[in-house]
Amino acid sequence: MDLFLQTLVNGILIGGILICLTIGFQLTFGVLHVIDFAVGGWAMLGGYTAYWLVTLAGIDPFISIFLVFALFLLIGRGLGPLIYRVRTSRYARPDLMALAFTFGLFLFMRGGALWLWSYNSRSVESVLSGQFLSLGPVTIPLMRLSAFLMAMLFSLGLFILLYRSRFGMAVRALAQNRDHAGLMGVDVKRVSAWVYGIYTGLTASAGVLIATIYSVNPTVGIRYTLFAFFVAVLAGLGSVGGVLIAGLALGLLEAYVATYIGARYSLLIVFGTLYLALLVAPKGVLGRGI
Amino acid sequence: MASKPVQTPKFIVRALLIGAIVIALAVLPAFIDSYTLRIATGALMWAGLACAWNIVGGYAGYISFGHSAFFGIGAYTTAILMQSDFGASFFVTLLPAIILSIAVAVVIGGPTMRLRGAYFAIATWAFAEMLMQLVTVLDFTGGTAGLSLPAYLNEFFFYYTMLIAAAASFVGVWLLIEHSRFGFRIKALRDDEPAAESLGIRTNLVKVQSFALSAAITALFGSIYAYWTTYIDPHSVMGPQITDQMVVMVLLGGLGTIWGPALGGVLLWITNRYIWSTFGDTVIYLPILGVIIALVVLFLPNGLISLLVGRQRGKELISNILRKF
Repeated sequence: MDLFLQTLVNGILIGGILICLTIGFQLTFGVLHVIDFAVGGWAMLGGYTAYWLVTLAGIDPFISIFLVFALFLLIGRGLGPLIYRVRTSRYARPDLMALAFTFGLFLFMRGGALWLWSYNSRSVESVLSGQFLSLGPVTIPLMRLSAFLMAMLFSLGLFILLYRSRFGMAVRALAQNRDHAGLMGVDVKRVSAWVYGIYTGLTASAGVLIATIYSVNPTVGIRYTLFAFFVAVLAGLGSVGGVLIAGLALGLLEAYVATYIGARYSLLIVFGTLYLALLVAPKGVLGRGI
Repeated sequence: MASKPVQTPKFIVRALLIGAIVIALAVLPAFIDSYTLRIATGALMWAGLACAWNIVGGYAGYISFGHSAFFGIGAYTTAILMQSDFGASFFVTLLPAIILSIAVAVVIGGPTMRLRGAYFAIATWAFAEMLMQLVTVLDFTGGTAGLSLPAYLNEFFFYYTMLIAAAASFVGVWLLIEHSRFGFRIKALRDDEPAAESLGIRTNLVKVQSFALSAAITALFGSIYAYWTTYIDPHSVMGPQITDQMVVMVLLGGLGTIWGPALGGVLLWITNRYIWSTFGDTVIYLPILGVIIALVVLFLPNGLISLLVGRQRGKELISNILRKF
């Protein structure tokens, strides 16, 4: 029973970070209609940025996460118009061209990181590393708890932005119908570019949290692209609300498989579930996907 | 009557050109050293693989990120059957490899190809990764340690085997897709699926057929590759880099054309080997690959082949490129 509870807590804490990893991705799909293959790449680069900030400047990851967010917000804002151009080009199959474009971006990030930093894993140290909180039978590493809370803070911030601001209203209008939003005076290009920026910022921040809990190396990107796809598919592509359920589901699934079946089977089961979920319910748990 | 005299010379020129390429490829091994021969063998393999991917990706319009699964199925079937407990000879293993890959493609393709666009890409990717994880945890595939095959050190044999396999794939795809009703069905399905269905095309059947054809060719090259390298492990024959290269080669050469994938495959493979011999490893190859994809998507979405297909389309293309700036 103790093990069961401990696994439950671990699953929920990881699930929260997966929510933060995927929520921006969903927003991008909802607004730009782009499946971004590079989502794991942004998370990896966020982790590396935090690593360099703590190693060279001694800034704790729980503070530098805000710097990482701002930095990647600007990078994404700069890249956004390019993605928008590919997606709205008049060539045949712009959706697949956009997929291929982000796929190239992802290869560039992964290859660049391998070339610059080789295969070594690097762990990001924080003042909270190695401290624990005991709650009855359950032991919670303080780092995971703070990472979970930070992830929730960022996700909550996104919801407030989406539902309590003029900018958020424009974003939601764009997600409903791009042409009509444009006719109502929304600057479609600019808002799309900012949405891409918010997405890269959020994903890089999630990458910082992941790097503090585990570690970061150039090949983790694929794994997190997979996780983001998993959560997004389960939630229904483009559905921001479904992410809350699907993120927790993946966190719990991975935790229970690792505890009760064996860690070497966890990826096999995660991929198998993703494949089945796509076949059975391509519109996601809430049936709200596009 | 009037059209015949105009068409004949063009046909003769084309036949002569193809004949010259075939003869050049057939006598090539006599003039090069064994290192260059290995590169040429690899180039033939990648040209064939790109051609196979192009059936689904280019002609049917379904971007598959899971073709490494079929490459791995071919490689592992050959490797397992050639272990000492079975002791099958190489050519005997090709048939089970192809049959198994077709069976898997039909079972997987049926439900998967009901998904559209990005969903299909994610599903095939998940399937390929799942299969790689499965091979890693199973015992008879050798797990992470992989399998060794009986070594057969005859570079000429592998060159000609690859040449025959690549030529057969090209002729097969050319006949089936450019010169048969099957090809029209596939292209109709790519251009407008509901319209194709309303014309009486059984789109699900055509999709699965094209997927199986593509899988069979991929598995054939997987088999030959396993025997050629004599050692395989899950990552080397099922890793994502196999699919990555196939996708990039077709995109670079030209989606949905017959010569584009061959051009892309040969060019990219030679670039890969050149980088490998210059820098000592292929790590820098990955970011270069990424930049090539991004540039092709931005400026040359019809691929390199569109630069060779005549002035009118070339002109259109250049005006497209200029408008991007």
